[in-house]
Amino acid sequence: MMNFIRISARNLLRNKLRTTLTVLGASVAIIAFVMLRTVLSAWSTAADFAAKDRIATRHKVSFVITMPKNYVDQIRAVPGVKSATYAIWFGGKNPKKPEQFFATMAFDAPSMLEVFDELVLAPDQQQAFLADKQGAIIGDVLARQLGLKVGDRFTLQGSIYPGDWPLNITGIYTATKKSIDRSSMFFHYSYVNDSLPPDRQDQIGWIASRIDDPGRGPAISAAIDQMFDVKDIQTTTMSERAMNLSFMGMISSLLKALDVISIIILFIMMMILGNTIAMGVRERTREYGVLRAIGFPPASIAWFVVGEAAVTGIVSGIVGLALSFPIVELGLGRLLEENMGAWFPYFRIDPKTYVMGMGLALVLALAASIVPARNAFRLQVTDALRRLA
Amino acid sequence: MSTESPIVSLKEIRKTFFRGKEPITVLDGLSLEIPAGSFEALMGPSGSGKSTLLNLIAGLDRPTSGSAMVAGANIGKMSDGDLAKFRSGNIGFIFQAYNLLPVLTAQENVELPLLLHGLSSAERKKRAQTALRVVGLEDRSHHYPRQLSGGQEQRVAIARAIVNDPTIIVADEPTGDLDRKSADEILNLMDRLNKEFKKTILMVTHDPAAAERATVTRKLDKGQLR
Repeated sequence: MMNFIRISARNLLRNKLRTTLTVLGASVAIIAFVMLRTVLSAWSTAADFAAKDRIATRHKVSFVITMPKNYVDQIRAVPGVKSATYAIWFGGKNPKKPEQFFATMAFDAPSMLEVFDELVLAPDQQQAFLADKQGAIIGDVLARQLGLKVGDRFTLQGSIYPGDWPLNITGIYTATKKSIDRSSMFFHYSYVNDSLPPDRQDQIGWIASRIDDPGRGPAISAAIDQMFDVKDIQTTTMSERAMNLSFMGMISSLLKALDVISIIILFIMMMILGNTIAMGVRERTREYGVLRAIGFPPASIAWFVVGEAAVTGIVSGIVGLALSFPIVELGLGRLLEENMGAWFPYFRIDPKTYVMGMGLALVLALAASIVPARNAFRLQVTDALRRLA
Repeated sequence: MSTESPIVSLKEIRKTFFRGKEPITVLDGLSLEIPAGSFEALMGPSGSGKSTLLNLIAGLDRPTSGSAMVAGANIGKMSDGDLAKFRSGNIGFIFQAYNLLPVLTAQENVELPLLLHGLSSAERKKRAQTALRVVGLEDRSHHYPRQLSGGQEQRVAIARAIVNDPTIIVADEPTGDLDRKSADEILNLMDRLNKEFKKTILMVTHDPAAAERATVTRKLDKGQLR
């Protein structure tokens, strides 16, 4: 059946090279958009994976300022708190590859395994870890990256706590939930603490507490903070999700920049489409003149242009999203999950991004057609036909 | 000349264009009556106003002043939308360069004007086939313009011009791009449309041989009929 859309679609095939390049150009913009949106959603997803029944307590001013270790005992006594553990951010590096990032944290090992029970460690490895002060457990992803296995010795180079820190790899953990990053390294708080000068000892970065009722999280958090209000060092207690988000707050400028870049990319796509559509309209002026002459009203001519833009937008959207899946999920996603699991534990395209990508491809194509469609609408028949000569 | 009542009646038509701020009067107080069913040729040198006059009669443009009645409608006062409707129902166009849409087949090109009339696909196809039969190209209905000769393309254009059974056919140099043989075929076809199908035809031409086929030849010079 011949209709306006069919004619519009056929018009697109007139200049196959130009249409192909336009669709590819717009598709690349869609891929870039999907990639950036996935980075943003992956970051927020990491926060969403947080356990609902876990709260975190840190120094009221910032999580980079330490608190007294004895706070944990007081928190354990707060009604509703089932268990609590504490840790410091060690900030260690692999001396052979200092540019490689992975999280290194010193925990109170026995309580950590209780509070983070989604961490899976073989019983013998768990036993070995608890028994060895220099013992360390690493996620399976990190183990692959570093080429480490149980029984290996690994020296960590400290930055916050300078010096070489030899560790025995006593276990390789996995996780039952995404709330545990499988590219981290955990070792004993006591190992670090005992090596520090007395004035730096018994300080901790944060306390993670398991609570009996996730619904009471805000009340328990308030009770904890109230308890320390009268002390020299006050605390801020929040859900694990909020804690993760506050980490992300440090990179909020980067996230905003990515957000802006994703919008800029779409505008570039709109300009590519607008240029192609405008060229098509210019080339077909005489045909539009003929259509007007045989009785097509100005609005119909504008609809031809809009239809052409819509078809281009839809095709670009489909091609862009179809290519996004293998590139983002199977290629980049795997790479990021393997190598930057701390930041991207789950790098997958959100279904909403697909919908948004498709919708934006169509909407922007239509927006790009506004000016050419308006010009086609305003075309004077006699002027258009005069271009016949 | 036919004794039918005039299907085109122009009185004191004046058409002025502006080149920048400079007014250029192309038609200057022109009056003209064309009886229904006639086949008229309009000749004149370049710039004499032939195409402008044809455009006014076809409802593609409006006069600056004067009265223009075509097929019973005062087209000088119509809006763009009304003029489009008027053209769709009353005027068939034949252009020098055929102006078929290259992405459509012969049949689809002929169907184009019928898209405006809300006909079913089957009805459009039937009417397009009929029009193509009249011009002798029924067997080429699925060919694209690039697969047709110039003469055949012009015949498809004529089929497109007659498919909605217009009152008037306006032809602007219909044989201008054709060799003599093809031109004669087109003129024979127009002659047939006039005599057999009683179509009023107004043709602008530079070709004396084409003008000879018309029943009336009018000469235009400097915006005036001579």
